[in-house]
Amino acid sequence: MPRVPLRLIALGAITMLLAACGAAPGDPSASAGSDGEQVLTIGAIPDQDPQVLQRQFSTLSEYLGEKLGVEVRYVPVTDYTASVTAFQRGDLQLVFFGGLTGVQARAQVPGAVTLAQRDIDAEFHSVFVANTGSGIEPIDDVSGLRQLAGHSFTFGSDTSTSGRVMPQHFLLQAGVGVDDFSGEPGYSGSHDTTAKLVEAGTYDAGALNSSVWDELVETGKVDTSKVREIFRTPPFHDYHWVARPDIDEQLGDGMTDKIRKTLLDIDGSDATEKKILRLFEAGSFVPTEPGNYAKIEQVARKLGLLH
Amino acid sequence: MTTTVRWEAAESTATPPPPRRGGGTSWRSHRRRGWALLIVAAIVVSAVASGVGSGTVVKAEGAGSLLDFVAAAVSPRLDAGFLALTGTEMVTTLAYAVLGTALSLVIGLIGGVLGSQTWWSSGVRSGRGRRLAGWMFARAVLVVPRGIHEVVWGLFFLVVFGIDPIVAVLAIGIPFGAVTAKVFSELLDETGRKPYTALLAAGSGKWSAMLYGLLPPALPDLISYSFYRFECAIRSAAILGLVGAGGLGFQLALSFQTLRYHDIWTLLYALIVLSVAADYWSSLVRSARARGRRRSRNGDGMRRDPLLTVSLAFGAVLIGFSTWWVGLDVSVMWSGEAWRFGSQLLSQAWPPSLGDGGFGGLLRLAGVTLAMSIVAIALAFGLGALFAVPASTPAHGRDHRAARALRLVAMLGSRFVLVVLRAIPPPVWALLLLFVMYPGILPGAVALAVYTTGVLGRLMAESVDNLDARPLRALRAHGASESTVFCYGVIPAAAPRFVAYGLYRWEVTIRETVVVGVVGSGGLGLVLHHQINAFDYSGALTTLAALIGLTLAVDLTSAAIRRSLR
Repeated sequence: MPRVPLRLIALGAITMLLAACGAAPGDPSASAGSDGEQVLTIGAIPDQDPQVLQRQFSTLSEYLGEKLGVEVRYVPVTDYTASVTAFQRGDLQLVFFGGLTGVQARAQVPGAVTLAQRDIDAEFHSVFVANTGSGIEPIDDVSGLRQLAGHSFTFGSDTSTSGRVMPQHFLLQAGVGVDDFSGEPGYSGSHDTTAKLVEAGTYDAGALNSSVWDELVETGKVDTSKVREIFRTPPFHDYHWVARPDIDEQLGDGMTDKIRKTLLDIDGSDATEKKILRLFEAGSFVPTEPGNYAKIEQVARKLGLLH
Repeated sequence: MTTTVRWEAAESTATPPPPRRGGGTSWRSHRRRGWALLIVAAIVVSAVASGVGSGTVVKAEGAGSLLDFVAAAVSPRLDAGFLALTGTEMVTTLAYAVLGTALSLVIGLIGGVLGSQTWWSSGVRSGRGRRLAGWMFARAVLVVPRGIHEVVWGLFFLVVFGIDPIVAVLAIGIPFGAVTAKVFSELLDETGRKPYTALLAAGSGKWSAMLYGLLPPALPDLISYSFYRFECAIRSAAILGLVGAGGLGFQLALSFQTLRYHDIWTLLYALIVLSVAADYWSSLVRSARARGRRRSRNGDGMRRDPLLTVSLAFGAVLIGFSTWWVGLDVSVMWSGEAWRFGSQLLSQAWPPSLGDGGFGGLLRLAGVTLAMSIVAIALAFGLGALFAVPASTPAHGRDHRAARALRLVAMLGSRFVLVVLRAIPPPVWALLLLFVMYPGILPGAVALAVYTTGVLGRLMAESVDNLDARPLRALRAHGASESTVFCYGVIPAAAPRFVAYGLYRWEVTIRETVVVGVVGSGGLGLVLHHQINAFDYSGALTTLAALIGLTLAVDLTSAAIRRSLR
C-alpha cells in the first residue's frame, strides 16, 4: 500500500507560507493599497492595443501621482463589462470610459461624477464600410443607410459606442432594424476585426470607429479595393472620465475637484504634458457634463443595454 | 491506461444499473438500432439547420486573410520584451491551472466521500430512507456546478470578488471539483471495503474509518486522476484568460483585438508548449499507475510508485509557488464586501426573466445550441477516429524497418496535430473560420469540432493503445496481415470505447457552445454574452437555467445510449 508522502506535502506547505511573504508578479490587481497606503486606481476600457494603453496610462498615472500627492495605479482590464463591474465594486476609482460604458457605469454607481473628456471626444464619428463586391454604394445622408437592408452586417464589440450603439442608432433613424439584415448581425469583437471581416466578404457591410478606420487605411492594413467607406456619421460624444463618488471620502476632501483641475490643466506646457497629450491623441482635456451622453443613454435603453 | 476509460464514463451522469426487463439480445440489438437511427436523424437535422447544403457555406475571398494568419506562424514575434511577457503570462496560466486543480481536489475529496454509497450505507444511527435521501442530495448538488461552463463561473465571480486571482481559481476549481467529486465517489465505491468495515466494527468513528480504511487504498487512483484533471485545467485557464482572468488567454484576447498575427503566434506557441508539457507529465504518471495496477493484479502486491511520489511532491511545491505568483489571498472569500456584492447580484438576478422572444424564443435558441453541439461532435468524432489510429503507439509487428520508421513519423505527426488542435482555444478557431465561412451556426460548430478533435483523437488513441493485446496477437499468429488485424481486431474492440468517448465529449461540447457564442455563432451562448454585457442578470439567469437543462438532457440521453451499448 503506497503511503502519502506527508513530509513532502509539509515541505510544500512551508514553501507556500514562506512564499506568501513576497510580492506577487502574476497578481492581476497587484493588491491595491494592501499596505494601507493611499492609492488611486485608474483604468480604461480595452478598446485598443494594450501596450498603447499601458504607455498612455502609466505616463498619466505617474503625472497624476506627482500632482495629487497620492499613489496612482493603472489596472488593466480585458473586457468592457469588467471595467464597469470593477468601477461599480470600487476596484477602479477613476476610469476613462467609452460613451456607453460611461453611461452604464453611472447608472450602476449613483452619484458618480463625469469629470472631463478630450477635445476630440465631442466630435466622434463612426464609419460604415462595405465590401466592394456587395454592390453597396457610398451615400450622403443617414437615410441612405436604408440600402443596407437585405445585406449581412457586423457591428464591433456589442458594448462599443462607435462600433455598435451609435451605428445602430443611425440605422434605426434610417428605418433599418436588426431583423432587416440578411441573417443575424455579427458582433466581431473589435473595430479591426470588423474591417477585416468586411474585407474578407464574410459580411457585406459593417460599422467601426472612424479614427481606427482612418489609421487602417493610412497604414495600408486594409485592402481598399475590397472594403471602402460608404458613410461617415454625424458627430457624437464618446469617451469621458468618470470618478467614483467616494473618492473624497477615501483620499481626502476636494480630491475629485483636484483630479478634474489637474486633468483640465494639462496643456502641453512641459515635456510630460506634451507626451500625455500625444499619447491620448488629444489637444487638451475639456469639461463635459452628463447631458452630453443623453442620446447614448436613450439608444442604450432602447437596445436593452441599460437596466 | 484503462483507468481513463472508467473516469470518462464516471464523469457523466450517474449510471443506474442496466435495466433487467426483456434483457434478450434481440431486444437489445433492436434498441441499439433505434438509437443508431435516432443519432443519424439528429445529425442530419442539425446539419441542415446549420446551413449545410444551402450552397453558401465556404467562401474563397477570405482565404487571403486566413493565409496571412497562417503565414505569420513562421515569424512569431520574438523580441526580448515580448518573450519576457509571454514567459510571465505562461507561468500565470500554469499557476491558475495548478491552484484550480488543487481546489478541485479538496472539493473532490469531500464531495467524493459524501457522494459515495459507502459513506451513506454504513451509518448506524440513521434509517435507510434518510441515507438514500442524503446520497441523492449530495449527488444532485454536484450536478449544477458541472452544467455551468468555467467562463460563466468566472464572470459570476468577477462581479463578486472584482479583479482578484481568486476569480480564476474558483472558476476552475468549482466545476472541476464537482466532476472530480463524482469520479472520486465512484472510485471510493469500487475500492475494497473490508478495512473500512473492520475499523467501523472495531468501534472507530466514520470519518477516521474513512481516512484510514478507505482512502489509503484508493489514493493512487485519486492522485493519478488528479493529474488528468490538471491537464484539462491548463486548457481551461487559457480560455478563462480570454474573459480577463490574466495569463496567456488574456494576452491572446488583446492581440486578437488588433489582429497582430505575429504576437498571436508567439502566444499560441507558448500555449502549445504548456499543453504538451502537461500532457506528457500527466500521461507519464498515469501510465506508471496503469503498470502498477497490472503488477498488483499479477500478485506482486502494490508498491510505492516513485514517479507518483515525486510528482506529488513537485505538485505540492507548485501549489506553494503558484499561490505566491498570483498573490492569492483566500481571505477575500469571507470578506463582508464579497458577500454584499454576491447577494446584490443574486437579488438582481431573482426572479429570472424571459427575454423579448418569450419561451418560444428560448426554445429556438436552445435548438440552435443543440444543433451546433451535434454538428460539432459528429465532425469531431469522425476526425478524431481518423487521427486516433495513426496517433496510437505502433504494435511490434514484423514490419519492415522502413515501414516502422514511417509509422513512427505518422504517430508523432498526428500527435502533434492533435495537440495543436486542442491547445488553441475554440473562440480563436471560431474567429479564424469566420474569414473563410459565412457567419451562422456552422463556423461555431466547426470551431468546436476542431478543438474537440484534438481532445477526442487523443483519448481514442489512448484507448487503442490499451486494447487487450491477446486477440490481436492471436490474429497475427494465424498469419493475418496488419490490415486484417486492424479490420477484425482493432475496430470491433475499439468502436464501443470511441462511442463512449464521443458521447462524453458531447456533454462537454454543449457547455462549450458558450465560448464560441462570444464571436457571434448564435445560440444560448451569444444571448448569455449579450445579457451579461447589458447587466441583465435576471435574463442571464434564465438563459443559464436553459443551458443547465440542456446539459442535463444531453447527460441523460448519452447515459441511455451508453447503457444500450453495454
